[in-house]
Amino acid sequence: MSTATAQIIPPQRKRPLSWKNIGQTILGGYVPLVAATLVVLLPLAWMIISSLKAPGEIVTTELTILPQHPTMQNYVDAATSVPFARFFLNSVIVTSIASVIKCFLAIVTAYALVFVRFPFKRAIFLLILVALMVPPQVSVLPNYILIAGLGGLNTYWGIILPGLGTAFGTFLLRQHFMTLPVSILESAEIDGANHWRRLWQIVFPISVPTIATVALVTIVTEWNDYIWPLIVVDNPNMMTLPVGLTLLSNSDSGSQAWGILMAGAVIVIVPILIIFAALQRYIVAGLTQGSVTG
Amino acid sequence: MSWLDAGGSHAAAEAAEKGDDDGTVHGGPGGPGDGRRGQVKPPRVGTARSSGRSRTGGKYWTPRARREALVFLALALPNIVLIAFFTYRPLFANMYYSTLDWTLGAAQATAIGWGNYVEFFTSSDASTVLGITAVFTLATVGGAMLLGLLVGIALNAKVKGQGFARSAIFAPYVLSGVGVGLVWLFIFDPVYGVLSWILRGFGASSPQWINDPKLALLMVIIVYVWKNLGYCAVIYLAGLQSMPKDLMEAASLDGAGSFRRFISITLPLLSPTTFFILITSLLSSLQAFDIIRIMTRTGNGTNTLIFESYLQAFSTYNRAGYSAAISVVLFVLLLLLTGLQLRFVERKVHYA
Amino acid sequence: MSAQFDRRRFMALSGLGLGATALAACSGPNTSGGSGAGSTAATDWSKVKPAAKISFMSSHPGTSQPIEQTLIDAFQSANPNIKVDLITGGSNYEEVAQKFQTAQAGNSVPDVVVASDVWWFRYTLSSTIVPVDDILKAVNDKTNDYNTTLYDDYKYNNSHWAVPYARSTPLFYYNKDHFKAAGVPDRAPKSWDEFAQWAPKIKAANAALPGYANVYQYPALAGYAGWTLQNVLWGYGGGWSKEWDITADSDATVKALQWVQDTIVKDGWAGVSSKDAVSDMTAGAVSSTVSSTGDLVGTIKAAKAKNMNIGVGFLPGGPVSASPVCPTGGAGLVIAKKTSPERQLAAAMFVSFMTNAANTAQFSAATGYMPVRTTADMSSVISKTPEIQVALDQLKVTKSQDYARVFLPGADQEMAKSAAKFMNEKADVKATMTALTATLEGIYNKDVKPKLKS
Repeated sequence: MSTATAQIIPPQRKRPLSWKNIGQTILGGYVPLVAATLVVLLPLAWMIISSLKAPGEIVTTELTILPQHPTMQNYVDAATSVPFARFFLNSVIVTSIASVIKCFLAIVTAYALVFVRFPFKRAIFLLILVALMVPPQVSVLPNYILIAGLGGLNTYWGIILPGLGTAFGTFLLRQHFMTLPVSILESAEIDGANHWRRLWQIVFPISVPTIATVALVTIVTEWNDYIWPLIVVDNPNMMTLPVGLTLLSNSDSGSQAWGILMAGAVIVIVPILIIFAALQRYIVAGLTQGSVTG
Repeated sequence: MSWLDAGGSHAAAEAAEKGDDDGTVHGGPGGPGDGRRGQVKPPRVGTARSSGRSRTGGKYWTPRARREALVFLALALPNIVLIAFFTYRPLFANMYYSTLDWTLGAAQATAIGWGNYVEFFTSSDASTVLGITAVFTLATVGGAMLLGLLVGIALNAKVKGQGFARSAIFAPYVLSGVGVGLVWLFIFDPVYGVLSWILRGFGASSPQWINDPKLALLMVIIVYVWKNLGYCAVIYLAGLQSMPKDLMEAASLDGAGSFRRFISITLPLLSPTTFFILITSLLSSLQAFDIIRIMTRTGNGTNTLIFESYLQAFSTYNRAGYSAAISVVLFVLLLLLTGLQLRFVERKVHYA
Repeated sequence: MSAQFDRRRFMALSGLGLGATALAACSGPNTSGGSGAGSTAATDWSKVKPAAKISFMSSHPGTSQPIEQTLIDAFQSANPNIKVDLITGGSNYEEVAQKFQTAQAGNSVPDVVVASDVWWFRYTLSSTIVPVDDILKAVNDKTNDYNTTLYDDYKYNNSHWAVPYARSTPLFYYNKDHFKAAGVPDRAPKSWDEFAQWAPKIKAANAALPGYANVYQYPALAGYAGWTLQNVLWGYGGGWSKEWDITADSDATVKALQWVQDTIVKDGWAGVSSKDAVSDMTAGAVSSTVSSTGDLVGTIKAAKAKNMNIGVGFLPGGPVSASPVCPTGGAGLVIAKKTSPERQLAAAMFVSFMTNAANTAQFSAATGYMPVRTTADMSSVISKTPEIQVALDQLKVTKSQDYARVFLPGADQEMAKSAAKFMNEKADVKATMTALTATLEGIYNKDVKPKLKS
């Protein structure tokens, strides 16, 4: 990559033809694509390979690339030293409940902001905009105090509730709704369809790709969320995967932990990778939507 | 986290571009070269158009307007209440904490006004932390954008496997920072990491990635660029694909070489995309946390604003008040950036 | 629970009443001085019934989660009316401390918490834990068979504030194969001077091994520097402090640390671990290190898996003092204050059970931590892991740690930061230590001295 940069930058305008050639090879060819793909994939491959190695093969200066005696022992150890199956279940529960509610809230709020008459919409809109600028870090302590006071430590609702308000999804959908052709909705209004029916029978069906984007982004965010579940949960039976993963790295036993840690990382990373692979064209299309005009 | 920021500010940029939400439409075809602006934007639905009127005189509300307002509240209120309760309330609580000398865990605290801010800005903390924040932010944003542009261009070529490469390169962006941080920590370990093994193969010894504060910062920057490269690449790709083909063809017929074409036509046309990526990446870099926390547990040369705020409250010092002050500084910084973005975008739109 | 006395003292210290807003009990700190809580002035423990459920927050030091759960199960069958939840506060002492401190802001604190040597005193100062003497008496624990050194580490104001649990000392770990190849004796060096003579031989004999890095690896600085460097400091007649007198820039201290820097920079046979020194050793990259006894069992197991021979020995002495040069360390169990007498009583029963003679031996066998009762029968443990005998013998020649490290909040981290400067970044030792002394004195004067006077 960096060599490519170095080659492009020095201006040698007298020889456009050779530049064209270089340009085509560097910019248009396989080289950068393959390089970039490798840079991205190799660390992940290393994670998977390492997770299959026996302890003696991992923490060693005499590395062999492939495991000499491939073993699932690290996965077994990860599952027995901490309740990994339970972490997985917790992550699935938290992610699915939170994502469904957040998407629903985003849809109805965005619809209201665009299609329903109300006096203070501009102010509300700005407040939601600013909410996006509040680093999640900032809200940890005050929310902890509140949730702890309500008895929400080590509960699903305690993990889910503070993150439910969704500024991001509301935004993305609002922007999308504003581009919808007005004629369809007007004819529905004349037909006497109320807001609820207009939302779900007209707006929703034609917005599925954008909603899918919001859904995926929400799922990814919830699944990977770390700081809040870390603070609000201390019972291993209620931990989500990213929090549980850090449990595996016990400071006093680092000599054996890496294989188990890599196995844990695989369990955290692979599910979201699968979801992403299945639905990546929505996520990419949705995210890029509008960016070129911004 | 980064998803949230990215998406949000992206939407924010667009929102600002579209003007106020009462339905004013900066419609019409956009400037040359803006593919999307070529579509005529539809005007807003009737109800939205009339809301300007109802704002000026609430007491003249017709029954229908009142019904509309109720519908609005029923739909939007839950979300608004949640945001108010779990984002704004903590924000203000935090501002209040930032005026206290409060040790986390203690039941009592002392009000000290601006004391924490004064301490932060007069001690060496401010220059160190702000310096590290600046280096981290600029390096991650700059690195990811530059590499992202190159990869985006490569992706734009119609070659086999382009779809797979695009997905693969984008994938790290959706992965857990905790998992990714651990994997990279294992790779970077100077004794048994695979990177040190590779370097030994070339006869070099491994740099002290973790012990040397400068290298530690470089290490988290590398990982962060790795994670965000795909995001920049894919957005750039979208920008490239929306570019008018006839313009490029005309330039090509004029005999402009591909490099010159790139510098004098492609880059300028990409500037809205560049600006968008710049802002979203800046915001998400300023809030980057998981990877830094996992890879440099106690913050050795990697104390960005957000991480320093965390360390002050939740690491050895337990200075919750001081920590709150630092996070307020960060919030103000983010707010300024957003304001800047809105202004810039609005002006650009007007002059387009 | 929050005693009237504490509150008055706090108010006196901090000059309260600066027009602060009083907040509801569950919404953050109180700035008006009027916090709501009962009193522990003198609980009549004979009238208290133990609670039915308590929680135990641990970081599972030394991969002790399985043995902790085993002991808890045993406790529950011995006391069927008390249920104990084992909760994980994090993966190290700092993270547990973070959790416990955060929990104080809410209204649900764990009952029994693992507290490291640098944390229990902060809890004492911030009144988040209770002294254990009376409660332990109430549950018929005579406490006289606790190892006196270990138990008295927790003494302050004529009370004990914790009981010893995962207590450790540093041990010298070495790779027997590397030592053999160099032709040096198969034992830990008696002094650092002796080791400095061995070092070039060990380096020469093993340098060709793939990935070989250092003869000696200083443990990762965070969490270890302040603790293990005391060994070198004491050997040179220095220290972080003499009681409350900070001596981090005394001539002896600077001389000792200059020697440390020289081993890395000038002589080039030592390095600093990035994460975990015993991992570096089991990876084959270093020939020796100093690490906690809590790593003993895990390390020997890891070494066996690789056919590597690991030996352990006493910490080497220095030119001024040959012994005692080994600090005690590790963690104890504290009982939280912000609960109820019922829960505190159940907690005391649990604490006593976890550290009784039979269970401390079991815990020791599983981890390598020291048995904390003199009555513990260690014979079967030692027959299984003979190396533990070395740790036990060394325990007799230990010294309690310097006040500056264990009693000053945040001092351990400051020491690690300073060590990073002169060990990793080659900064001037004297200047670094002068700055550290000023910092430590600042902490003492601000956070500790006022509270001691009361």
